[in-house]
Amino acid sequence: MIEFIQNTVDGIMIGSRYSLLAIGFTLIFGIMRRLNLSYGPSIMLGVFIGTFLFVQYQAGWLAVAAATLLGAVLAGIYVERLCFWAIRQGAALASMVSSFAIWMQLEELTTLVFPDRTYPFPPLTSAQPFEVAGINIQSTYLIMFGCAVAIMGALSFMLYRTRFGLALRAVAENPLAARFMGVGTGRVTFLAFVLASAIGGIAGYLIAANEQQVTPLFGLWATFKGMIAMMLGGMGSVPGAILGGFVLGVVESQATWYLGTSFRDIAAYGLLFAVLVLRPGGLLGQRRAERERLALRRV
Amino acid sequence: MDEYTIQVLSNIGMFSFLALSAYLLLMTGEISFGQQAFFAIGAYASGIVTAMWGWGLGLGILCGALVAAAAAFLLAWPTLRLRGLYFAIGTLAFAEMVRLLFEIFSYQIEIDGELVGPNGSDGFRGVRYVFENDISNFQYMLLIYGLLAAVLAGFFLIGRSRLGAIFRMLGEDELLAEMQGVNRTFYKVLATVLAGFIAGIGGALYIHLNTYVEPKIFNVMLGVHSLAYGLIGGLGTSLGPLLGVAIDIGLLESIRIFTGYRMIVFGGLVAVLLIVRPRGLLDEEVIYWLKYRMRRPLARTARRQADAAPSEAGDAQD
Repeated sequence: MIEFIQNTVDGIMIGSRYSLLAIGFTLIFGIMRRLNLSYGPSIMLGVFIGTFLFVQYQAGWLAVAAATLLGAVLAGIYVERLCFWAIRQGAALASMVSSFAIWMQLEELTTLVFPDRTYPFPPLTSAQPFEVAGINIQSTYLIMFGCAVAIMGALSFMLYRTRFGLALRAVAENPLAARFMGVGTGRVTFLAFVLASAIGGIAGYLIAANEQQVTPLFGLWATFKGMIAMMLGGMGSVPGAILGGFVLGVVESQATWYLGTSFRDIAAYGLLFAVLVLRPGGLLGQRRAERERLALRRV
Repeated sequence: MDEYTIQVLSNIGMFSFLALSAYLLLMTGEISFGQQAFFAIGAYASGIVTAMWGWGLGLGILCGALVAAAAAFLLAWPTLRLRGLYFAIGTLAFAEMVRLLFEIFSYQIEIDGELVGPNGSDGFRGVRYVFENDISNFQYMLLIYGLLAAVLAGFFLIGRSRLGAIFRMLGEDELLAEMQGVNRTFYKVLATVLAGFIAGIGGALYIHLNTYVEPKIFNVMLGVHSLAYGLIGGLGTSLGPLLGVAIDIGLLESIRIFTGYRMIVFGGLVAVLLIVRPRGLLDEEVIYWLKYRMRRPLARTARRQADAAPSEAGDAQD
């Protein structure tokens, strides 16, 4: 029993990073109704700029975090302009494939500039793990979890208490009606993309600092973990993305403990498949799924 | 032809099966990220048949395709309710599960004092039918293109038949198609099974040429590529996916200047191409225009005859 609780606690803390990635995905998807496959790779570019500063100039954590964030946002803007803004509305499939092409481009660029397999990344803290009521807690996990919760809080404040959040939700609900009400949909879309990239950048920094290393596989990993977590919760729903991330984290850590490492990903994909088949809208998105179905019928 | 050209052409041919498989589902309006699973299943099944049970190559390819089609049939039922992106992610999850299961799948028998068969993440080695039977690379390439031509002929037949009309109708508007009396369940499952069959042929050909496969080559990258081929080449005709494969593998892999920068050039090129032509190079408009051009000389003659006919009649009356 104690193992089960321990795994659950670990899973929730690890899951917070999936939640952050899924939030970025879901923001972009909710606003644009298009999938940005290049989300992970653009974060990876930021992470590599951060690691470059660390390796080359022994920069402090603040500079590394800022560089990661900036790199992710710049790469995100590049993707937005090329794959989403320039491709006409309605060609969702073209946007997706185009973002995949840019993924290839970013990945090759990264491996050209950083030819080694792995690069070190500064850790979040050197504090030792501690114990609460018989449960081991890693300090780095705890910091990551705290940051993630703080970001989620700030995001929900922004979404539900500010004018920009209102505009964002309006565009997500119905772009045409939002436009009639005087919302600059183009500007809101762009800012939402920047916001998602910034969240991704922070997530990327936290993940890399936890792993204490980065590899060129990070882009693939981040894109698919974020996408799975988003689909688990329900596309386009922020609470769904948060829940999906936690569920994914817990399932992964339980599967690793009880079934072994080789079953970790099988369990995650199996869960995703089961959720899709049994509850096609995700855990929190049944009502939304009906509307998505109509919106996505012609892709 | 030198060996290198043959190798590049063979690769184009084999991956065309995968691209066509994704294209068939696109025709019915579904995006699949998971066709590489059937490619993998086809490869493993046919490898087992020829290398471990000692059957012939023809039977091996047939078995690979049939097993892949059977797997597609099993996948078709649970994913029937999924549409659009949900279908895409559902197939992705399925394909990754298949790949991860191959990572732990082990089934080996001893042949001539040597263990043969799939062995987890080491993959499936020693599928040497092509070499043991002295089939040259050129002959094998002809086999690939012969089968590809057969599949393409099938596509053209489907495109001109009622079946093709139904597939496109389902892709355009499922509800409308059902109201016209189309049995949606039957045709959706049929499309998935046919797509699995085609991908299975490709996989079977792939393992025999390379003599081995590893599960990790059937990752999601392969699936997204096969989908992208159709969109780059064009969604208007079944030659579009082939053009996409030829551009990616043929043009860029063989031009050595781009070594190391290939994806930077290719990625940018594709992104710009999709801005200008969101449905690929050979999209419906181009195909329509081509058909019109091809028909016009005939039409012109017909019109001239039609113009001439009344006056002749008039002449006769005079």
